[in-house]
Amino acid sequence: MYRSAARRILPAVCRRTGHFRSKASPVRFSAPIIHPAAFSAAAASENARNHKPNNFEASKISSSSNEGRKPRVTDRPKAHWQEEQARVLQASLRHVVRPFLPNLQFYYSKNDLLIGWDRLLNFIGQISLGWSDAAMIAGAREVGVSPSIVGSFPRKEAALVEFFMDDCLQRLIDIIDLKEDLTNLIPSNRVAKLVRIRLEMQAPYISKWPQALSIQAQPSNIATSFKQRAMLVDEIWHAAGDESTDIDWYVKRTVLGGIYSTTEIYMLTDTSPDFRDTWAFLDERVREAFDLKKTVQEQTWTHYLASYPERKQQYFAIYLHTTPVRHPLGLEVLRNRKPLNTNNRVSACHHRSVKKYHSSDWLQNITNLLEDAQDMQIFQAKYLAEAVGAGMGGSVQGFVNNLFKG
Amino acid sequence: MALRSIYRGLKKNNLLSPLCNSCSHLHSHSTSFGYKEVREEEKSQMVGNVFTSVASSYDLMNDLMSGGLHRLWKERLVSKLNPFPGMKHLDVAGGTGDVAFRILESINNVGRRAMRDIHDDNVLDETQIFVCDINPNMLNVGKKRAQERGFGDNKSLVWVEGDAEALKFEDGSMDGYTIAFGIRNVTHIEKALAEAHRVLKRGGRFLCLELSHVELPIFKDLYDYYSFSVIPALGELVAGDRESYQYLVESVRRFPSQEKFAKMIAEAGFDKVEYENLVGGVVAIHSGLKF
Repeated sequence: MYRSAARRILPAVCRRTGHFRSKASPVRFSAPIIHPAAFSAAAASENARNHKPNNFEASKISSSSNEGRKPRVTDRPKAHWQEEQARVLQASLRHVVRPFLPNLQFYYSKNDLLIGWDRLLNFIGQISLGWSDAAMIAGAREVGVSPSIVGSFPRKEAALVEFFMDDCLQRLIDIIDLKEDLTNLIPSNRVAKLVRIRLEMQAPYISKWPQALSIQAQPSNIATSFKQRAMLVDEIWHAAGDESTDIDWYVKRTVLGGIYSTTEIYMLTDTSPDFRDTWAFLDERVREAFDLKKTVQEQTWTHYLASYPERKQQYFAIYLHTTPVRHPLGLEVLRNRKPLNTNNRVSACHHRSVKKYHSSDWLQNITNLLEDAQDMQIFQAKYLAEAVGAGMGGSVQGFVNNLFKG
Repeated sequence: MALRSIYRGLKKNNLLSPLCNSCSHLHSHSTSFGYKEVREEEKSQMVGNVFTSVASSYDLMNDLMSGGLHRLWKERLVSKLNPFPGMKHLDVAGGTGDVAFRILESINNVGRRAMRDIHDDNVLDETQIFVCDINPNMLNVGKKRAQERGFGDNKSLVWVEGDAEALKFEDGSMDGYTIAFGIRNVTHIEKALAEAHRVLKRGGRFLCLELSHVELPIFKDLYDYYSFSVIPALGELVAGDRESYQYLVESVRRFPSQEKFAKMIAEAGFDKVEYENLVGGVVAIHSGLKF
């Protein structure tokens, strides 16, 4: 079910999930370059397990025939150059963060001072290149392909980052398929565990991850990165057993997207061993999110009313007057109020709200009632805006609580 | 023209292969020189004459005709190429060296140096940019300009006289191949493309910057008017050679369209063939990958 919803919203997804034979329009080899940048980058970053639609091979004239490949209807492999590009990207990942290999004893050995220098230089040469085209050039050299291929990626560093994101998503899907013990956990724990597994894949690159995030946030890349994150969040919810189809689907994805992003950012500055603090943070957020629903329902009405006694009384007044309580003697009374003087309702009543809804003109009554209701809505919206602007509490729950407090 | 297509069709079916070698001597095929039909052997001679006469004012005329835009187009070409230190690059028909200078500058750019691998700096000395042109006059102008720019004694820049259809470089020796505003002057475009494919390494890129076809309705008419009325007149005024510039605008019209040229590139064996239109199609950059 989530897949059909996903396909509705994210057209690129159907090509990504290898389970479908997509009938998406083929990437014409001669199409103008600029806008299918996302297309060809997505195509380049898809790994070998994906299947390309049939028409692509047919539209490419001779490069396939040069390699002696005949177009096949089912299960066709990717075009040769895309595999090569994927290989280059895979190799480049190894150069993004190079392992730190100090050999201090060698350098400080008094006798071997001269020999130590080339080791030192070697070690210096192991600097991490980050998510840059330098890493991709190094990757291309490793694979044995000319580094000019880096120029053929439309948005170079972004192609590397997107490849990595796709790769991690694929690994996550594989893990989900393999692991059965997920069903033993309650949904909130399942979600937390999956987010943790996914973030652990990023852990080796954490020193250069801020660079990757900034690349993803660039305007030309933000569309693809958003899609990738949406797919990731979708996958996690589906694995956690989500079956909703209404507005909840969007709410859940948004909430989880928020949790994932905040945890990711928290991880960037976490120095605890094995990222323990990050996982604690994650568990807290997930717990809050699952409690959020209850919190919202509980807090909304009562706190709002409690903060404005006047409004509360107005509401009560309306409530009371629309459902009158009949005195056994047949007189209309207000609870805890003096009985109304039917001759002179306006003067007898000391409560302002009653005045408004009890004139002899029924139209005026209704108008007043509606105006007040509208005022209350406007007031509610204004109050919400103020609360958001005033800053949030330490947690989502605190935020909600703050929202409805005075 | 019909003769030529039949010949090509028969050649594909290998019916004429034993006769192939002798065919070129038996039949003289005609090709286009602007709107004129000329024999193939004559075309290269006539093109040679055109460029010998325009060589000295070539750059000035480029500036005038394109309003300085040709610089931006060449910058775009070089940024698409994404040069790297240690690159072996071949710029064909790059007589006056515009593209080659830009590539060299981009590799030696201090800003880029900051982001590079240690390994790259060592390899910087291995960069070689070959500028190949069939016309020695254009090459001389290029060498002079190199002196002016300070590349006079730069070992990375190598000036070679050669024919795009029969390059003297080894197979698989180039990381990049560019041809800027040169391929429409070549007699057999397919041969030039085949040579490009031969000379490139695995993963090497082919980039072609060329004046191309405009399809946008009103702009097309403006462009036609500009091409046929303004440019030859400019040629006469500035370079004193109306006919060469008449040839230029006519050859642009006779050149295959973007799609057709892309097909030709794919037929030569390149993968991932794409093109990008600049200024609505006045100029197009075709690119291909070799694997």
